[in-house]
Amino acid sequence: MRIVAARGRRRAPLSHIVGTALVLGWTLPAFLYLVVLSVKPEGLIAVRSALVFWPTFERYRELVITHLGLPIWNSLLTSTVGALLTLALASLAAVTFSFLDFRGKAALFLLMLLPRMFPPVTTLIPIQLGMKTLGLIDTRTGLILLFAAFQIPLAIWVMRTALAEVPRELVESAALDGASLPVIVTRIVLPLAGPGLLASFILAFIFNWNEFLFPLILTSFNAKTGSVAITSFSGGYKQLPWGPLAVLGVVMTMPVILFVLVFRAALVRGFTAGAVKG
Amino acid sequence: MRWATLGRGRLYFLLLTLPAVLYVFAWRIAPAFYTVWLSFTQYNIIYDPGPQWNHLENYRRLLQDGGLGEALRLSVVFAISATAIELLIGLGAAAFFDSDPPGRNLLLGIFLLPMIMAPVVVGTVWSALFDPTVGPVMYLFERVGVPEFQWLSKPLTAFMGLVVADAWEWTPLTTLLLFAAMQAIPREQYEAARADGASSFDIFRRVILPQVAGMLVVAGGLRLMDAFLELDKVFVMTGGGPGTSTQFVSYYVYKQAFQAYELGYASTVITGLLALLTVVFAFYLRRYSRMVDSAGA
Repeated sequence: MRIVAARGRRRAPLSHIVGTALVLGWTLPAFLYLVVLSVKPEGLIAVRSALVFWPTFERYRELVITHLGLPIWNSLLTSTVGALLTLALASLAAVTFSFLDFRGKAALFLLMLLPRMFPPVTTLIPIQLGMKTLGLIDTRTGLILLFAAFQIPLAIWVMRTALAEVPRELVESAALDGASLPVIVTRIVLPLAGPGLLASFILAFIFNWNEFLFPLILTSFNAKTGSVAITSFSGGYKQLPWGPLAVLGVVMTMPVILFVLVFRAALVRGFTAGAVKG
Repeated sequence: MRWATLGRGRLYFLLLTLPAVLYVFAWRIAPAFYTVWLSFTQYNIIYDPGPQWNHLENYRRLLQDGGLGEALRLSVVFAISATAIELLIGLGAAAFFDSDPPGRNLLLGIFLLPMIMAPVVVGTVWSALFDPTVGPVMYLFERVGVPEFQWLSKPLTAFMGLVVADAWEWTPLTTLLLFAAMQAIPREQYEAARADGASSFDIFRRVILPQVAGMLVVAGGLRLMDAFLELDKVFVMTGGGPGTSTQFVSYYVYKQAFQAYELGYASTVITGLLALLTVVFAFYLRRYSRMVDSAGA
């Protein structure tokens, strides 16, 4: 790290200032404009030069008390429960993959990663037909069952990397002391792999939260998620209700911003792993 | 580690793995195979009681499908232009982050926001920016005397709008990957180059660029694949229009399956795309495999 710092100091500070300005100028204005729209009074919304005004939070209040709140609640519920199920299934499998050698392990592991090689659209039609057969169209249960499956390969991958750092001797000595497997897993392995668990949960949650195509074809009203609700505004040639649309966009982004601020390191690692091994 | 160490039989451990394996198989692997099977059937969910085997009829139709050909062409152009921009800006941004500016980690976190946001929200952000009644883009254009027009309702500008939105959303990913590759370069190499009197540009071209070339290939490959299958932003921003000028392949599949209800033929298009992608990426990896190896990915 010291070498890096030394190299940084040698660069002209001007390039850092310009670079920082460019990075912020690239990312923030686009999103902040949506935030501005979301609090712009209805009368001013089409006055594009009005950037300074008294903000209204009326629309956020409406979101909570009207039917628009339902999709957000659906998103929150299905993403969270789905991610927890993913975590339960994936961590059990990851423990086996990480701690044991057995014949066919490599093959089984590859099989688990296989779904990441082909795009989700390949499973779209059968899943819709299957959900119809099971009577799970437009139910939160259906979405949760599906979300639980989607991120298992990624979660296993992230968990396995985290579990590789758990000292083997610790597990072995606990086993020799007569601790049973469930005790070893719940008391020793999983607590030590906590950061991995957290990273898997956050990644699974975010991917579920952002998912659009599957909720679009599987839900219509009761279980409609935030992503689907946003698109149901558009279409047709009538003027879009930009106020509520912007509010929905901002609310959909809130948990993501929270996660970025709190768990940046875990996210960066997870996204890089997810991308490179995807 | 041996089975015996943990004092349990093999069965016990397989039982731990089995739920995840079965689950992934049921929801991800089996449906993919079912799609391939459906691709050989006539199955319009409105008219047909069930999938009817129709030999290779769908594939014959696939080869003569002009709409699909146009969608493919658009997707390829979109994927290449978006990826090129993302790699170019990503390279610059990664070099900036690699120079260790003050507050780098916070800055990186902010920079990552667009790619972690829901894609439909990214679409909404850019729809708002390009919208002539509420957005600033047309306002600025009018200010310099360009007559008002609907940015997302003209074929060329709608297409460009999607490219811009995609670049905004995914440049963080290429930046992140290239930044990781740059961080792996031993710092002594910079010192040595500087001692030899190399300028910053020389260092970038002769030291950094060759060593991140592998990652450029990896990041480019990832983005090409994803951008080729882009759907969410098309859905929000243009709906494939005006006309079919932004109807990319995924949107074409969506329309076949869920607007025309041609599940059989839509499956054929998906299977065809999958085959095409596999072939293209086999070539891509073979052509660049040495560079990919050097990226350690």
